[in-house]
Amino acid sequence: MLLFRSEEHVGRSGRPPGAFMSTDQIWDLADTWYHNRADPLWRRRTLEESQKVFADLGLTGDFWKLR
Amino acid sequence: MNTNEVNQVRLHVLRTAMDGRGVPSASQTATALELSEDQVVEAYRQLAEGHVYVQEPGDPTSLRMANPFSAIPTPHEVRARGKTYYGNCIWDACGIVSLLGGTGEVRTRCPDCGDALTLAMSGRKLVHKEGVVHFSVPSAHSWDDIIFT
Repeated sequence: MLLFRSEEHVGRSGRPPGAFMSTDQIWDLADTWYHNRADPLWRRRTLEESQKVFADLGLTGDFWKLR
Repeated sequence: MNTNEVNQVRLHVLRTAMDGRGVPSASQTATALELSEDQVVEAYRQLAEGHVYVQEPGDPTSLRMANPFSAIPTPHEVRARGKTYYGNCIWDACGIVSLLGGTGEVRTRCPDCGDALTLAMSGRKLVHKEGVVHFSVPSAHSWDDIIFT
């Protein structure tokens, strides 16, 4: 997962097509994913819970399916 | 190692990284928690198996990733709380800022043109943004080769 200047720069870099995410989405995803990681009661999300995090951020479609 | 002991290891590693003291080796963690190195290596193995952390390839006594922290410098530099950290990717770099309270900066470079790119957060809000995030690997295969991902 890399930050590029623009989608055009991704194309020029020779990376596979993959998928894009806005900087707002990556921040929201990271904040949701990690904000409570230092909580002693933290546990890893189930696959279904993780998929819901993606869906809530608009990350739907085959690329974002976790299985 | 039972679940509670593994969680104590998880927390020690994370808190050490959050303090800016890097990702500890099994020996360092063993000393801090009064465990044997073998016990910590087993905890590291279980944490890797659970996709919580990532062991250094070929060296079970070291972690490459104490997610979101990288044990080694990467192109994803984070500045927060007056310290510098490294994320495993742009997602994890943002995650470090989140974990440290939601105020900080992520600095990286466009892999194509080399331009410096910065994201800045304050009070859990993204206050400076530029660029676009690209994922190469479909989510279902993220952990197939997590170091590449």
